Amino acid sequence: MVFLVKVVTIVGLRRMLKLKISQTMPNPLQIHLECEAGQLHALVGPSGSGKTSTLRTIAGLSQAKAGKIQCDDEIWFEADEVTGIKQNLPPASRSCGFLFQQYALFPHLSAIENVLIPLQNSLLEKEERRSIAHEWLVRMGIQELAKRMPHQLSGGQQQRVALARALARQPKILLLDEPFSAIDAPTRQSLYKTLADLRRDLHIPILLVTHDLREADLLADRITVIDQGISLQTAAPQVLFQKPRNARVAELVGINNMFEGVFHSGELRWNNSEQLFHVLDKGKIPPNSQVAWVIPADGLSLLEQPSDTSVIAKVIQISTLGQVAVIQMQLNHGEHTIVWEASAAEVKRLSLKVDSAAYIEIDSSKIHIMPLRIINDPRRFTN
Amino acid sequence: MANPILLSNTMEVMDIDAILLSLKLAAWTLVLIIPFGVWAAHKLIRLDKGKPWIEAALALPLVLPPTVLGYYLLIGLGGKSIFGVPLVFSFTGILIASLIVNLPFAIQPIQRAFESINPEIREAAQVSGLSNWQIFRLIELPLAWRGITSAAVLTFAHTLGEFGVILMVGGAIPGETKTVSIAIYDKVQSFDTSGAGALALLLLGISLVAIAVSYGVFGKSSHYRRAKTNA
Repeated sequence: MVFLVKVVTIVGLRRMLKLKISQTMPNPLQIHLECEAGQLHALVGPSGSGKTSTLRTIAGLSQAKAGKIQCDDEIWFEADEVTGIKQNLPPASRSCGFLFQQYALFPHLSAIENVLIPLQNSLLEKEERRSIAHEWLVRMGIQELAKRMPHQLSGGQQQRVALARALARQPKILLLDEPFSAIDAPTRQSLYKTLADLRRDLHIPILLVTHDLREADLLADRITVIDQGISLQTAAPQVLFQKPRNARVAELVGINNMFEGVFHSGELRWNNSEQLFHVLDKGKIPPNSQVAWVIPADGLSLLEQPSDTSVIAKVIQISTLGQVAVIQMQLNHGEHTIVWEASAAEVKRLSLKVDSAAYIEIDSSKIHIMPLRIINDPRRFTN
Repeated sequence: MANPILLSNTMEVMDIDAILLSLKLAAWTLVLIIPFGVWAAHKLIRLDKGKPWIEAALALPLVLPPTVLGYYLLIGLGGKSIFGVPLVFSFTGILIASLIVNLPFAIQPIQRAFESINPEIREAAQVSGLSNWQIFRLIELPLAWRGITSAAVLTFAHTLGEFGVILMVGGAIPGETKTVSIAIYDKVQSFDTSGAGALALLLLGISLVAIAVSYGVFGKSSHYRRAKTNA
């Protein structure tokens, strides 16, 4: 174990992946991101948004028309639309560990032989290579499966072998392409733990493609939201969920309580209602413009009695899931629906029932306003 | 102790020269065509332009009458031939003919085997740092070996059984171009039914075993395919 840590940790060297790619053909891609060593950076977005294309482009399995991919001071890819390709290292020379969604183990080789493949070109003695491969299997907790063939392993075990294989030649970055989506939930939990440990020990940039926001929230230090091939926002998970850059990001990260309004010098008027909120004007939004606004869960509270500032709503649905209840309420004559999550005990305390009245206090200091999405022009959000 | 006279009679009935010649032809065909088949199949799966035409040309021996193929080979190999020396009615001539008629049998099973390798497997090998040659040697070739075995068995059996083209290009020169299938034809023509029967039975047996082995090989490959779909 001690031996292994010495091998994979290069002290005093901060690895950093810088990526900027752009193309319009065959499918549009405008991705810009940076990932530091020791960081786990998640790429999220709907299917077909370009997450996997981005990862494949980094690994050299596909090629962008223009852009630059740099790892530390090594340029892996550089091209622009006018002068063409300046640099394009083949995948074998890029030093990426790549984890495939379907594991992609070599079916004719045993677990340990799979891990030995990336060590094929190392200058180490055969015995040393074997002991490194073995150490990786130990680290993944599957050393007793070393001689098994891939078809004799479960999905989770196969992904552990694939992870050992991806890391065996000490890659400069680790790329994970929806690695947990084909794996059952309990096994996934233990793989999350393994990944969290690796992030701590490896000190390399780790990029994770996922469509599962909860997974991204749980694992990632930073998240880039990608839609229609364009990176819309990069931020820490808590920032992203509290302050999405625009309405499309808010929609993609599944923010519940998003509404529209008109913003004018510190005042937000809720569309189709009399409600007026005082919101801090950061000077970024032009006066009298239509905006989208969100209120995070901690900006909402339900009162037992109406107050001067509370708004009255009608409970239309209460869905209880174990100890958690999701309450849907309508207000402004059915114009708007607010979703509020609470514990079952809270629901009881407030004696909420379907069709009963609820008094909602909206903390206007928690309101986050942002530009509206303009349909069919996602480019608007790149600045 | 076997009666030497009886033994020599059996040898005559079986036409041992024809059997040896057929085996020699099949062996040379295999040695030359399998490496080519592996190379061509590997090229074909990465080909975009003109692929249907090249595949069609390689499959032609399956559908063309042996007389048509034989005619073109006679033209190509006769006179001074495209190789500068006359090759018709010689072992080299029937070897060239055998190589051409066996192209689909050698290439198609290997091509199918390469095609059935999940492209992600190749990509995993690339990101593992393997060179193209290493990917071919360590990953693709072992995964395609069943297809290669099958191609070898089919080519071998088919070479033993080829008749029309060999007759047109090689005639029936004993020890040079008179293979088992031509010997059977000769024996039937000269009313030697027992000799023809013995050789026919031999060919039937070899073909049955070859095809059974080939099917067995493909049958066994299904567990890899299952593992792949599970994955």
